[in-house]
Amino acid sequence: MAEYGPFEMIAYTGSRVLEDETIVFVGTGLPIIASMHAQMTHAPNLNMIFEAGSLGAVLEQGLPLSVGDTKAFRKAVFAKGLCGAFELTQRGYSDYAFIGGAQIDMYGNINSHFEGGTYSKPAVRFPGSGGAGAMAANCEKTIAIMALEKRRFVDKLDFVTSIGFGDGSPNYREKAGVMGSGPYRVITNQALFGFDEETRRMVLLEVIPGKTAEDIQELVSFELLISPDLKEMEEPTEEDLSLLREKCDPEGYFLKRKVVK
Amino acid sequence: MVQNNVGSLIKNVSSLQQDEINNTTGEPFEWWGPSPAEARKKAVEKKKGLHDKRTTLKDAVGKYVKDGINLGIAGFVNTRTPVAIVHEIIRQGAKDLTLSFQSNSICCELLAGAMILEPDHVSIKRVELAWWGYEVIGIAPLLRYLTTNEMIEIDDYTNYGMSARFKAASMGIPFIPTRDHGGSDMELVNRGAMVECPFTGENVYLVPACHPDVAIVHVPAADMYGNCRIFGAHCTCPEIALAATYSIVTTEQIIPTENIRNYPNLTEIPYPAVDALIEQPFGCYPGACYGYYWFDMPEFLDFKNICDEFRKTGNKDKLREYYDKYIFGCENFDDFLGTRPYSKLKELRQMDGVQPILID
Repeated sequence: MAEYGPFEMIAYTGSRVLEDETIVFVGTGLPIIASMHAQMTHAPNLNMIFEAGSLGAVLEQGLPLSVGDTKAFRKAVFAKGLCGAFELTQRGYSDYAFIGGAQIDMYGNINSHFEGGTYSKPAVRFPGSGGAGAMAANCEKTIAIMALEKRRFVDKLDFVTSIGFGDGSPNYREKAGVMGSGPYRVITNQALFGFDEETRRMVLLEVIPGKTAEDIQELVSFELLISPDLKEMEEPTEEDLSLLREKCDPEGYFLKRKVVK
Repeated sequence: MVQNNVGSLIKNVSSLQQDEINNTTGEPFEWWGPSPAEARKKAVEKKKGLHDKRTTLKDAVGKYVKDGINLGIAGFVNTRTPVAIVHEIIRQGAKDLTLSFQSNSICCELLAGAMILEPDHVSIKRVELAWWGYEVIGIAPLLRYLTTNEMIEIDDYTNYGMSARFKAASMGIPFIPTRDHGGSDMELVNRGAMVECPFTGENVYLVPACHPDVAIVHVPAADMYGNCRIFGAHCTCPEIALAATYSIVTTEQIIPTENIRNYPNLTEIPYPAVDALIEQPFGCYPGACYGYYWFDMPEFLDFKNICDEFRKTGNKDKLREYYDKYIFGCENFDDFLGTRPYSKLKELRQMDGVQPILID
């Protein structure tokens, strides 16, 4: 089996999750790489929305380093502004939100505002919602990329930035006035999670070869549900890795980090 | 303000303390800039003919940027950041500013740095925003410093929320319904309101219009009257310019009005919404301008590192040196650009990849 890094595993898994004939609203970094890989493999008619306002750009000038990057508009079929991107989303033309964050809870709510302290006097203030809060509200399904650590998979968020299933109530999203169906997948380099239809709690769907469900539970503060159909995560082939390394992120801005043994 | 009991179930999940929840029920809504009626009045009072709006940044900032105003910053993150205008504002000074924008990087960090060095010359009172950071380059150190030390008040929305607020203002309506913010803590802390839709009976989140006193915008091309073309991302520039009482616009190049009249569909900001126009090539440097130049990563990183060092050590020497050399020590933005080698600016033009734009 080919050697790959944690970020390569995340990008590859992100690609696997995306289906063809859909539109994905991408955040900076790994979501773009995952979407590019999907386009080059199983999802040739997947198109990306960049929140500065482009749809269907052809990333022939290389990986945009920002969702407002001029490269994210190259050969797009539609180029407007933020209102254009988010209104397409509210209207129902974005199938996936592809976001990240600092903390996530068992109902897929995500924090990207601050950690520690209080809202008015935070220990560490992050940039804020950006597009994430609106994407999680109104793209049809939310995919989150997270680092699998106890301090990130928490019982209670310091701040709810991006709506998930809230407190798990069946009508939480309806009462919030949002349109999308909510959390769909959470991708880490060692595990892939989904959400239980009944309880709306996070479910472990797949683990990386060599690890067990118990290993993953140890890295999560809340109690995970385990899929009765628990699988091993598919690993990227040499061909996938060369696509990721040579075509998607040749400069290694997001992928070139330490290698998992 | 909004007198009802409509809300999501966010309180079941929130970690916010009771006193942090924006409980303004019953009090009149406070506009952090002109009210919709005031903004309308100012627009009506303007001369509406086609006039040559070209001026200097020094005159434009001197005329429009005053203490206590709401300053709307256009662009998005590192794209078309109106840096030349921000430099001039810092040189001339402006206190008790309210900043409004969706996402920005160096413009707000530059203003924050000026506030840290010369609080009696430049200061930010509060910010209505969605995001303040550098994206791939990292978290904004001065935002961290100002928030941890409780030096600014922040009103948090999503990128769509802020864009929709400018859009409402540009449409001349006092609020706009959105399908986000609800069910997140932003519902509890920001100045929007959940209501029941009179038509569907469903909950829907209203955000108030945002009219800046002054918008600062950088565009690729405009004629001398201020009809602006924007290529690549429009960001929220047309909405911010139309929302503001006055707009100061820098442009990469002035184009003949004949070109504008040949393709009027390409005008994204119409001339009545532009009050001052300055031809300033590289006017959003180190930000990117589609069709002209890519953003200068090392330049962003250098400034961020200077700010980070201040945040970690409290030592202002390098920060002061930067401002003394590149802002206070420069007469205008061309002087600043003159400190950067031509080879670097040329390389940035090549890195944009010659994105096609329509000038003629």
